[in-house]
Amino acid sequence: MDVGILLQVLFWGIYAGCIYILLATGLNLIFGVMKIVNFAHGEFLMIGAYVTATVFFFTGINPYLIILFSMLALIAIGAVVERLCFRPILGTGKLNEIFLSIGLIYIIQNGAAVIWGDKWQSVKSPYEGITVPVGPLAIPLDYIIIMVVTAGILCGLYVFLKKTKIGREMRATSQNRKGAMLVGINVERMDILSFGIGCALAAAAGTLWVVSGQVFNPYMGSIPAIKAFAIIILGGLGSLPGAIVGGLLYGIAENGAAYFFGGIWKDAISFIILIIVLIIRPTGLFGESGE
Amino acid sequence: MKLPEKYTVLLIAIVIIVALCAGCTQQTPASAQPTEVKVGVIASLTGPASNVGTNIWQSAQVAANEINANGGVLLRGSTTKVPIRLIVGDDESTQQGGQKAATKLITDDKVDILVGGYSSAVTSAYEQTIAEYKIPYIVTGASSPIITHRTDIDTSYIFHQCPTTDTYGQYTTTFIDQVIRPAANKKFNFSSTRPFRLALLYQDTAFGKGVQAAVNNTITKNNLNIVLVSQQSFKMGESDFRTPLTAIKAAQPDAVYLAAFPNEGAPAITQARRDIGLDTIFLNVENNDNAQFYKDLGQYGEGAIIESRFSPYTAPVGTLADAQTKFKTSYSTKWGTVPDMMGASTYEGIYIAAQAIGNAGTTDKAAVKQALVDLNMPQLIEAMKGGTISFTKDFRESQFDLWMEQLAFNQTIGECRPNIVWPDNLKVTDFVFPSWYKPSST
Repeated sequence: MDVGILLQVLFWGIYAGCIYILLATGLNLIFGVMKIVNFAHGEFLMIGAYVTATVFFFTGINPYLIILFSMLALIAIGAVVERLCFRPILGTGKLNEIFLSIGLIYIIQNGAAVIWGDKWQSVKSPYEGITVPVGPLAIPLDYIIIMVVTAGILCGLYVFLKKTKIGREMRATSQNRKGAMLVGINVERMDILSFGIGCALAAAAGTLWVVSGQVFNPYMGSIPAIKAFAIIILGGLGSLPGAIVGGLLYGIAENGAAYFFGGIWKDAISFIILIIVLIIRPTGLFGESGE
Repeated sequence: MKLPEKYTVLLIAIVIIVALCAGCTQQTPASAQPTEVKVGVIASLTGPASNVGTNIWQSAQVAANEINANGGVLLRGSTTKVPIRLIVGDDESTQQGGQKAATKLITDDKVDILVGGYSSAVTSAYEQTIAEYKIPYIVTGASSPIITHRTDIDTSYIFHQCPTTDTYGQYTTTFIDQVIRPAANKKFNFSSTRPFRLALLYQDTAFGKGVQAAVNNTITKNNLNIVLVSQQSFKMGESDFRTPLTAIKAAQPDAVYLAAFPNEGAPAITQARRDIGLDTIFLNVENNDNAQFYKDLGQYGEGAIIESRFSPYTAPVGTLADAQTKFKTSYSTKWGTVPDMMGASTYEGIYIAAQAIGNAGTTDKAAVKQALVDLNMPQLIEAMKGGTISFTKDFRESQFDLWMEQLAFNQTIGECRPNIVWPDNLKVTDFVFPSWYKPSST
């Protein structure tokens, strides 16, 4: 078997993993702080893709730069959704959260279809056609940038959570909500912040989805959201390292399965891994018991 | 006063006879001329296939408007025409959505006939309902032969107004054998006995598997000098094709046959050329002859082949060119865009429905079905075998004349445009290998 081909498949797996990592990390951040199940998380990826494409079509700005605008826009949108939709039902039961988020999927999808239409769209990267030799491979520059951007965002998130006061308060809320309230942390502020940052990470995933040349339409977010849920369960609920490892594992496993067994196994393999991991370690790879 | 028993029996018999006669009298209006013809159109208005589905629905409206502008449908035995009313059902590009749409159109809207259907997987999911209610259905998009060949349900009310995967799979494979293979041998000084290396990338549905089966069967049956070096599948709606394309590149093909929808085909070719460096000829199924496909492909479509029977951007020279131009103009005037192939066959489907109901002289389902079986009407905007639209007696499939197009990049508009390259009686130019084309080194 050609090692170069295997390395190429591995590379495509890491690329896919980058998208999953950003989406799953955002979902995990929201779950960690608010303990809510948001099935509409994939729709924020979709909005991020459309915001990037819209700004690009109107201004022609390098789409990699638009990622900042897209993330800021989604922080604002996420804050509004948290305030108007999730906060009123917080603590009223998981069933309410599930039905609310399913309702949001339809509302956001149809809203996007009204605003942007429901045709498939794509954006061309300014770097398309440029390849970089990496060992036996000729890697398109776009994918290297995507990996670097993903790593940069994750490092930024790490610094924010570990080194800033707000980040520490957010982690404290995630670890013990009542305890955080007792020491004077405004947990509702943490809720709105974590939801906004989670949506911003989904927006970053959407932007990278767009610049990698993948097509998008208003209904694109549902499947990635399901996978993001599988990833955070695999990695451990509330665990950011778990989301990163799980995302990478999923990306590589999917592409490996598509190569060795055919495209039909691409989605199935992820859930097979999830079931195996949960049988061996029910709390996920990095999960703590009780989470 | 008590009636004798024999009078009681007589009275009851009279009441029953009167009731039956009343029933007969009440049925008369139902068999009388209807005030309108209700045509249900099943299209994917939302979901992954919404681009094509919207074209199907809009084309149906163009046909209905034309028919109604001419007074409507003239029923046999009548002197007055009745208008057509279209009712759309959105199958949401899913099997569940298709089932809902078909059931609603049949039971709630009580349509007289159905037209449309795009995805074979979706359409086959609600065929049971069609069979149960015995509604005539003219399928204008779903091209898997199982639509009318399956034997687990009664498909006698279903008629196929589009070529099947068997037909165009065989046609495209023959084109590869008769045109691309000799051209490659000549251009690259290959031996004439060298097998042509073909790879398949197909949607893992009835549609994609149908194309795969047709290609395999054509090669085997005709003992063609073509070898399938890689057969990769993907799920419907996929947008990341890099790994299957990497596997295909490793197999060193001379060409790749893509059985995909336009929203899958365009990114697949783009990723192959841009990310994988797979500089080869991509052959596409007819449903990709769609404006969005050309737009999404950009320069990466150069040299690609599309098997076709109606194109938004070209037409074979001949009597049908005017009819196609008229349809394209009507469509563009109403909707501001260009129609695609699925729209064209749906446009014809509405006319076929109107003709069948007119010939039947009634909206009675069995009579309309028989009128479709007996149909023999002049071709409309697509070239039909023998110049007429009729359905085969065995599987109720209409027979089309097909052609192959090759795309050339137009720098001015930033998109590719098609030229017919086969068959010889229709072609405007010869098939050529693009300058960047790399054949297999094997």
